[in-house]
Amino acid sequence: MDVLNLAFVAAVLTSAAPVLYAALGGALCGRAGVFNIALEGQLLWGAFTAVAVSWWSGNPWLGVLAAVAATAVFSLVLAVGAVAFRADPIIVAVGMNLLALGLTGFVMREALGATGTFAPAGLPGLPDLDVLDGVPVLGPVLGRATVLVPLALVLAVVLSLWLARTSIGLRLRGVGEHPEAATSLGVPVTRYQMATVVVAGALCGLGGAQLSLGTVTAFTENMTAGRGWVAVAAVMLAVSRPLWVLGACLLFGAAEAWGFRLQGIGLPQQLTDAAPYLVTLVVLVLSRIRVRRRLRAADPVAAESAAHPETALHPEEPR
Amino acid sequence: MNSVHRRRRGRLPAVALAVLAGLTACADSDSGGGDGGDSAGSIIVITPNPVGGNNFLSLAIEGAERVAEERGLELEVYESTDPTSIQQNVEAAVREQPDIVIGLTFSLQDAFATVPVDNPDQQFLLVDGCPDPQPDNVTCAAFREHEATYLAGVEAGLLTETGRIGVVAALDTPFIRRWVDPFLAGAQSVNPAATSTPLFVGGDNPFGDPARGGAQAQVLADGGADQVLLAASGSNVGAFEVAAAGGFQAYGVDVNECASAPGQVVDNVTKNVDVALAESVTAILDGDTGGSQVYGLAEDGVGLTAFEDDVADSGCLIADRPDVIEQLEQIRQEIIDGTITVDDPAAG
Repeated sequence: MDVLNLAFVAAVLTSAAPVLYAALGGALCGRAGVFNIALEGQLLWGAFTAVAVSWWSGNPWLGVLAAVAATAVFSLVLAVGAVAFRADPIIVAVGMNLLALGLTGFVMREALGATGTFAPAGLPGLPDLDVLDGVPVLGPVLGRATVLVPLALVLAVVLSLWLARTSIGLRLRGVGEHPEAATSLGVPVTRYQMATVVVAGALCGLGGAQLSLGTVTAFTENMTAGRGWVAVAAVMLAVSRPLWVLGACLLFGAAEAWGFRLQGIGLPQQLTDAAPYLVTLVVLVLSRIRVRRRLRAADPVAAESAAHPETALHPEEPR
Repeated sequence: MNSVHRRRRGRLPAVALAVLAGLTACADSDSGGGDGGDSAGSIIVITPNPVGGNNFLSLAIEGAERVAEERGLELEVYESTDPTSIQQNVEAAVREQPDIVIGLTFSLQDAFATVPVDNPDQQFLLVDGCPDPQPDNVTCAAFREHEATYLAGVEAGLLTETGRIGVVAALDTPFIRRWVDPFLAGAQSVNPAATSTPLFVGGDNPFGDPARGGAQAQVLADGGADQVLLAASGSNVGAFEVAAAGGFQAYGVDVNECASAPGQVVDNVTKNVDVALAESVTAILDGDTGGSQVYGLAEDGVGLTAFEDDVADSGCLIADRPDVIEQLEQIRQEIIDGTITVDDPAAG
């Protein structure tokens, strides 16, 4: 592979990593039966905390830890509101997203004395993986990234295995798929769901820290710029399966990186803006066609009624 | 004699001061009877954000201080913190009945579209923006940014080693293209083989997405561009990081940004907002109100850091190339004389 293609892979991984952390969090919540669309706000909160604590302490790793902790605490709003008190998770999440946007701007102004962008000279960022310099393939691909980028890929695999192979993973899936059955077997559903939401918050904290201390070393108001929503799209596209989430995030990252390169040869900016959404639509349509084909092959009648549920409800009506 | 009062106004103080202003206005009309006030006159400048570390706004305030000194005016600065306080500050300023209420940047466009209509006897000046429709008592000060961008392009054309230049801009709009198209035109005027790759940040937050700005800058660096103009506002942060890592040599916009990537920024397409503000105030006081006053190279309203007297201390790479500066001075004169015309991407 030539250098340009490796640079492309590097660009895909860097742009996918923050989205992947958020999407893995969203996927865990999805498996536990909590619809989490507060990813955008949590990413932003993580990005801000990481920069603020890195600036105050002078240590970027403390920034990362603080982002994980602060975002986990922030996610308690969803855990308590939507799980413990059974409020509508969509409404709670929308509130959280708005709160994060306003609060980060406000705290930045009051505590850091900056508006718009906070990127003072000497703001400590996460180190690049310089050790890989000179290593073929890995060097050009990961040499300019932080350790959080490969960690995100590893985490997707680990979470996938954890859900499939461990008893806690099994209980978590049970909680999401059939809460009554889980309760009857003595699994504390509410506790499982709340813990999952908080873990998802911690993952968003990692994603935010990668964005503001890894991808760049700066905080800008609303710098997540829709990445949390792309993560929500990835979760839905992947039906909450971690490995599929990984694939979806890489696909979005590739669409973005490829879009920038196409812009360079004259493609309009508006089209590259639409790239992740076009990809989502195409993949949804393709997967739907595949599902229908498979159903039809297995049982033509069931497939037909699955495709037209209204006729299935009234089978006696002539068509 | 003049004195400068600065007030930082958030929402609450703005309300309190507005009440105060109302009271003093009443007191004035009770005692004086008439709008004479003190003969020296006054101007009020309203900023969209706290002036703080914002170089563009500080430069504008410098211009206001200069003209206030020259004309013996009293100057007040109202610093806004958010859109609500902008509106309140404009209304509070009107109650003070200064000679001119001055607004900075397009953030004040909405307030300047409505408040002047209700106060037809008050003169307003909006610098670097213009409300649409423009009330009769609003004067706009605009810039011909494309002229200075062309000069930066000339610089890039002379300095490029790969023959490839680029731009990272926030959005693909006719106005923002003033930092895009003339950059290539200028480069090709001295280096016909030069090619330019413009990339637009776009997305959900084009003016504040440093990660996307950085990713695009990396694309340009990987593609071999060695002279890149950064016109993406808050998204520039990421692009300057690529420049600092040695990806390319950068050009800043509006103010001196050479410290953003020390040793890697060649020059800046500057907007001399102080000149524009001072000259427009003078023109309005002399009775030339309404319409738009446009500042280009000829009026010294736009330029390059290279042309400034203290270029040696600017931290910009161009300081080491007096030969290039000399050539640029020549081309600037040709643009002023009309020998060279720079196409305006935002025109029609």
